[in-house]
Amino acid sequence: MENPLHPFELHNYVQLSLFGIDISLNKAVLLMWLIIAMVAGLLIAAGSSRRLVPTKLQSVAELLVDFIRGMILDTMGKDGLKFFPFIATLFLFILFSNLLGLIPGSYTVTSQIIVTAVFAITVYAMSLVVGFVRHGVKFFGILVPPGTPAWLLPLMMPIELISQLARPISLAVRLFANMTAGHVILGVLFGLAIAGGALIGWLPFAFTIAMNALEVGIAFIQAYIFTVLTCVYLGDAISLHGHGDAHAHS
Amino acid sequence: MPSTDPLYAGLGQAVRIGTELLAALIVGGGLGWAADTYLFASGPWGLVVGLILGAAAGVRSAYRAAQRWSKP
Repeated sequence: MENPLHPFELHNYVQLSLFGIDISLNKAVLLMWLIIAMVAGLLIAAGSSRRLVPTKLQSVAELLVDFIRGMILDTMGKDGLKFFPFIATLFLFILFSNLLGLIPGSYTVTSQIIVTAVFAITVYAMSLVVGFVRHGVKFFGILVPPGTPAWLLPLMMPIELISQLARPISLAVRLFANMTAGHVILGVLFGLAIAGGALIGWLPFAFTIAMNALEVGIAFIQAYIFTVLTCVYLGDAISLHGHGDAHAHS
Repeated sequence: MPSTDPLYAGLGQAVRIGTELLAALIVGGGLGWAADTYLFASGPWGLVVGLILGAAAGVRSAYRAAQRWSKP
């Protein structure tokens, strides 16, 4: 049986290097370009006809914009709308790369931990920069939850520091693990279907169809979670201790 | 769009918690281990303390994630 981890290996198509940095082209790079082209092309096509009665494509795009706008308003408040372009780009890129990977024979960019890690580190670094620009040194107050008695501070600060440092890791690992696990399961089931032959092979094949349907849901959910958490982290940086978090105890 | 569906939104919030716990545990244990190995040569104690703090941090993040659900 074929190794189910085999599809995740990347082989360079074109060897390139720039000042000693390896910038070879491989499947993942080409697919990322394709995703960028697809997202940009679809949205430009949707936005070009600004009709009062929207076309089909335009109404899908309007739905999407409304959805992302609502997500930002829920988690960050009005101040967060400045980040709308960044958050919409992130959501669409992750959503398209998750969904494109479900086409048999294609490849999921988000199943490479380096891709998700770069996203997570960028988001986290951005939230730190926003926090320090807005609050200065007071931003360290994020390590002290509201209402902490002074004698608990030596215990709470390391705990909060760890939970802050865990944010980019959980963000990166969650997306990577969900995508990789789903594709490994699909690979194993396809392998079983081929190994089982005509007699029993239809059973795992039926499961691959069910799994694929589940994976479509997971593709949406993981893109949504990644984006919502981006909003939450940026919101924490904008208003220390989050939007309305301080009132949650009352 | 399925992610606006209440079922999917709830599922999305539920799958958050597991990685939240795990990541904090990994960071806490990793920091403790690094302090043991590179800073103090303090036997297993850095790892032990780090894991305990990491577990506490994980529960704290999970609690904070759950706090947002009560909001309408």
